Amino acid sequence: MSAVLRWLVAMGLALVASAVGAHGEKAQMPQLRMSTVHWFDLEVSTTKLSVNDEIVVRGRFMPSMHWPHHVESIEDTAFLNIGVPGPAFVRLESRVNGVPMIRSTRFFRGETYEFMIRMKARKPGRYHVHPLINVKGTGPIIGPGRWIEVGGDPAAFELKAKTLLGREIDLESYGFANVLGWSAFWFLLGLSWFVYWLWKCPIVIPRFKQRDELGVDADRMITRTDRRTGLIYLAVTLCAIVGGYQYAQASYPITTPLQTGRVDVPPADPGPRVVTATMVEARYRIPGRSFRIEMEVTNHGDKALSIGEMAAGNLRFINAAVKPVQPADEDDLVAVDSLRVENAPIPPGETRTVVIYADDALWETQRMTTMIKSPDANVAALLFFYDTDGRRHHVEIGGPMIPVFG
Amino acid sequence: MAEDSAPPPASPSTQSGVANLAEQRRAYIQFDMLVIPLIVLLFMGIFSFHFALLVGDWDYWVDWRDRRWWPLVTPLCLAVLPGVFGYLLWERLRLPLAGTLTILCLTVASWISRYLNFYLFADFPMNMVWPSTYVALGLIFDCILLLSRSFFWTGLAGGFLFGLLVYPLNWPLLAPYMVPVELHGTMLTVADLQGYEYVRTAIPEYVRKIEQSTLRTFGEAVTPLTAVFAGFVNILNTWLWMWVGYLGAKAVWIRKIT
Ligand SMILES: [Cu+2]
Repeated sequence: MSAVLRWLVAMGLALVASAVGAHGEKAQMPQLRMSTVHWFDLEVSTTKLSVNDEIVVRGRFMPSMHWPHHVESIEDTAFLNIGVPGPAFVRLESRVNGVPMIRSTRFFRGETYEFMIRMKARKPGRYHVHPLINVKGTGPIIGPGRWIEVGGDPAAFELKAKTLLGREIDLESYGFANVLGWSAFWFLLGLSWFVYWLWKCPIVIPRFKQRDELGVDADRMITRTDRRTGLIYLAVTLCAIVGGYQYAQASYPITTPLQTGRVDVPPADPGPRVVTATMVEARYRIPGRSFRIEMEVTNHGDKALSIGEMAAGNLRFINAAVKPVQPADEDDLVAVDSLRVENAPIPPGETRTVVIYADDALWETQRMTTMIKSPDANVAALLFFYDTDGRRHHVEIGGPMIPVFG
Repeated sequence: MAEDSAPPPASPSTQSGVANLAEQRRAYIQFDMLVIPLIVLLFMGIFSFHFALLVGDWDYWVDWRDRRWWPLVTPLCLAVLPGVFGYLLWERLRLPLAGTLTILCLTVASWISRYLNFYLFADFPMNMVWPSTYVALGLIFDCILLLSRSFFWTGLAGGFLFGLLVYPLNWPLLAPYMVPVELHGTMLTVADLQGYEYVRTAIPEYVRKIEQSTLRTFGEAVTPLTAVFAGFVNILNTWLWMWVGYLGAKAVWIRKIT
């Protein structure tokens, strides 16, 4: 049941995505986008490539400490994935903190992870590519997207592999001729059985009547030829199954079961904790599309700290005075100069109340404002502090949100 | 038509050229030509829907065809239509045809769907999304019904073989995909590799309902144990669906056709 539903949803998404030209990223509820996974430092090795060329998507993510309790946790089962429309790319390699992500794993809240996905272009087109994490029971948590253009000839695509027995195989076609041959053999054998009975045409009404008239003797409708044919078909079928099985065993003496089971990813060393921040109050002014967050920040380090960026739900609000950031493409959700910070920088060793304002239409256009219609109006965001040497420290804040209507 | 009750071959054409008979035969043929294609379309529709609903991903993807769940789920779902229509066609027409015919219809529908939806539309290579073959199971079911002329024995022997043989029947198709490969220090089967490399955004790895390793000491015996277990369960399953066919045959609307 769920399989079909999932397939329908996938097909639906693919259709919508190809029709709109982009993304399902706005579809998820804002507080889910904000308080599940914080993605940052997304980088793509190229934005234009040809079929058979490789591309590396890399970046970092941090599962939120404010992960909603009613949603199944990323600490149970998760899988690093990539959002592309079908196999427009094939994935050659994916790693988190250096561990291959071929199988499923789990990630811990509050830890920072570094991911990389290496792919090879398969179908020409223009794709909005997102890293994402599928979380069991929750669904895909989509990261930021980048437009990638693939040119070239799809027929030229090649994907090879080498088995552990030393045989080189072409993954685009491997085994299919064999499948087709066996399928055709069985189909034709079955079809001939159908034709055998169809040959007695007309069969429906005459046999129905005859069966009715014969009553308990109806088995007399089956002739000796029928029985002999049945015996032959049964024998041929059983022999072909046994023979086919033996043949396969002889041709492929070494096989293994499908491989599954989870792998573990050790979290990266976070280093010394330089800054802590606690949210005191978050108010969203609807008419001004303005977020005001009051928080208490402690600088444990030995250099003054400024706030350069606040990232929430894949939106980036930049304080250009500290560190300017330009959007990578037309759908990169960066509000270039939208973060105002009061009462900063924070001198070393001090604890202060800092107020930040994130004002931008992105709140509206990315449908983050629908959070006031949700049953749990919470926010979470990642703050990027920069010290006087330009060293970056990230800290998550989160808590309840209060809308301001006037 | 009373004299027709002689044992077949029931070919009335030798009855001397009575115009009526020839005309009647033509009408019967026309009826067949109308009804049989309709039945085929009906079987294609019901069976592929029912199969997609219950077996779904196990039959869609080569990296879902494991040793434990796929050979168990498949025969249980596969025996439904052969059971019901096997009863009906035998009971009403003495035709041992439903097993093969329904599965042929499923096969055609599956191949069309894989080719159009999975290959042309979604761009997956055919060697990753081919449908398994089950026609042989239908043949066994029909032949046993024909030879035993008994629903009891058909359920017992046919149902059992149905469950037992799903895996060996498909092994010649599947074995090449179960050859081990290595990727970044991890051993995989070719099928796993396809599942990993051809990205499925909506179907993450953990979604696969496949055999996990256990502490029980089945070891090598997973496949035969599953097959025998599937066979036994499928005996009851087949009888159940034949009984549903029996209920259907008793239904008034079928009698009204006469
Ligand atoms: Cu997108």
